[in-house]
Amino acid sequence: MNTVEILAVIIIVGVVLVWRISWLATRVHRATTRAERTWSVLDAALVGRAQRAAELVMMRSIDPATALLVLDAAVATLDPDLCQRQRELTESDLSHVLDAVDPMLPARPSELDMERARTSMYRRLHNDAVSTALALRRRHIVRIFRLARRSVEPRPFEMAEGTFCTLMACPPDSLEGSTSSLTTVMVREAEN
Amino acid sequence: MTDLRRRLRVGMVCPYSFDVPGGVQNHVLGLARYLRQAGHRPYVLAPGELRSSTAALDLEDFASAGAAVPVPYNGSVARVNFGPLSAARVRRWLRNGKFDLIHIHEPVTPSISLLALWAAEQPVVATFHTATPRSRSMQLAGGVLRAAIEKIDAGIAVSESARNVVVQHLGRDAVVIPNGIRFDDFARRRPAMRAEPFDELQTTLAEARCSTGPGQVAGSPPGPPPRPRLIFIGRLDEPRKGLDVLLAAIPLIRQARPDVEVIVAGQGRRALPSWCCNLGPITEEAKIALLNSADVFVAPQLARESFGIVLLEAMASGVQLVASDLPSFVDLLGAPQDKERRGDVFGVGDHRALARAVLEALERPDPLQAARAQQAAKAYDWSSVGMAVLAVYRAALSTAPSTLAADGEV
Repeated sequence: MNTVEILAVIIIVGVVLVWRISWLATRVHRATTRAERTWSVLDAALVGRAQRAAELVMMRSIDPATALLVLDAAVATLDPDLCQRQRELTESDLSHVLDAVDPMLPARPSELDMERARTSMYRRLHNDAVSTALALRRRHIVRIFRLARRSVEPRPFEMAEGTFCTLMACPPDSLEGSTSSLTTVMVREAEN
Repeated sequence: MTDLRRRLRVGMVCPYSFDVPGGVQNHVLGLARYLRQAGHRPYVLAPGELRSSTAALDLEDFASAGAAVPVPYNGSVARVNFGPLSAARVRRWLRNGKFDLIHIHEPVTPSISLLALWAAEQPVVATFHTATPRSRSMQLAGGVLRAAIEKIDAGIAVSESARNVVVQHLGRDAVVIPNGIRFDDFARRRPAMRAEPFDELQTTLAEARCSTGPGQVAGSPPGPPPRPRLIFIGRLDEPRKGLDVLLAAIPLIRQARPDVEVIVAGQGRRALPSWCCNLGPITEEAKIALLNSADVFVAPQLARESFGIVLLEAMASGVQLVASDLPSFVDLLGAPQDKERRGDVFGVGDHRALARAVLEALERPDPLQAARAQQAAKAYDWSSVGMAVLAVYRAALSTAPSTLAADGEV
């Protein structure tokens, strides 16, 4: 092998390596930014859930103790200074409170159920996006070349969701009844 | 600013040929039909040909990926296509379609679905239909496949078992949304069915030289009493559909009930005993009529049934149900000791237990059980299922780096 051949081999290997690294960097970026976006959507859904929960207070025949309990739990989640761990705890508490007061409510508003189902769906999508991003970011080649250095490592959002009627388990009538509320939530989200 | 309620252009990719009927194909058409009713515009790319415009899809909105090649896959013969020519077709379709969203069915099959996932630049929703682990080939395929799977923005699994496969073998997660049925079509005629002869079915039965006569018509006292009718719907030549179990059980059933009438319908050739009436492949209309005229529906599947759509349709029709105890069937029908169960299950492959269950259903039909099944099936109507799918579309659109956002529309 003469020098030219050795040089050619080095260049080819170099090009392949650079191509592979840039491809991986694209994937890391795509996965990480998706996790950021799924978080913002989940965040909005959690706020929507808290709002719907707080609206229970306005039900005509709700007793004041139940109202206070729900309102307290809902407002706690909306504190902007919470770190993620605290947020997870307050959101879990809200789920438990909603489950606990459910038998006491004169009627079960389908909007709240929809909001809880949507939260559950967005949380699954978010945690899925996070695990995809983390799997990529923990690969050796990504670490060695620090392909993820410019972005914050995403974290899954762990919380208790409680029991509620899911997107599918709702009786069809209640789903149909809440069509408008789902779309209004969507519109509100789109406008924000 | 346009709200998200605007008309979506949804590009759906189906890996299996439209030349033959199948669960995934029916699902794609059912979803397309729902999307149109909801004011959106579905497009479909699939192998094979769409014969004519239907309520689900206009002919011009269907793009053929070319003639499909039959290859053995997942325990049955799948007609799919692959190769550079198909890849180019898929890319052209994606580029020209101006879709807001791509919905890919069975993304991890060697087919146009994987090609579409590979090439897609739009937000991607993917539906996983099978519950079959393919971990070995997954591991061998390695990086390329993993990179494609990463592109899915939102996954849908048709059952918990299908979701488990997604989680364990693909390292992703999925929202569980079952397959939809057109509940009203299946449920509508049940009460009146036996009182009025259903022409198409009678014609089909006559063509298949089945010995049915006016005996099937209840409410007509003269003539012989109706013969109990047992039906099976599914591919006839695939062992996993379990027709063999049913055929082994029939002699036992006939010992107690010699007048029982057995009708099977589905794709595939096979030799059947003379007392078994084979309708072959049947239309959707004939299927509805057949279900509505039957006394007992038998689902003897042996394995790998991720989601029993035909069982669900049978539930909607209000027929008595006897099914093997595959997890997905038990989910639908309830465990044997469950007082509120919606059908009877027997041990997978156990033809004696099947015979016992069928005789029990014939001797002591339980209208309440059938009514519970019907009620349960109602939740799977496209009106609910389609709305859940749309919610996932919204999620994918709002979390993907969407073309909508780039247009300044959201």
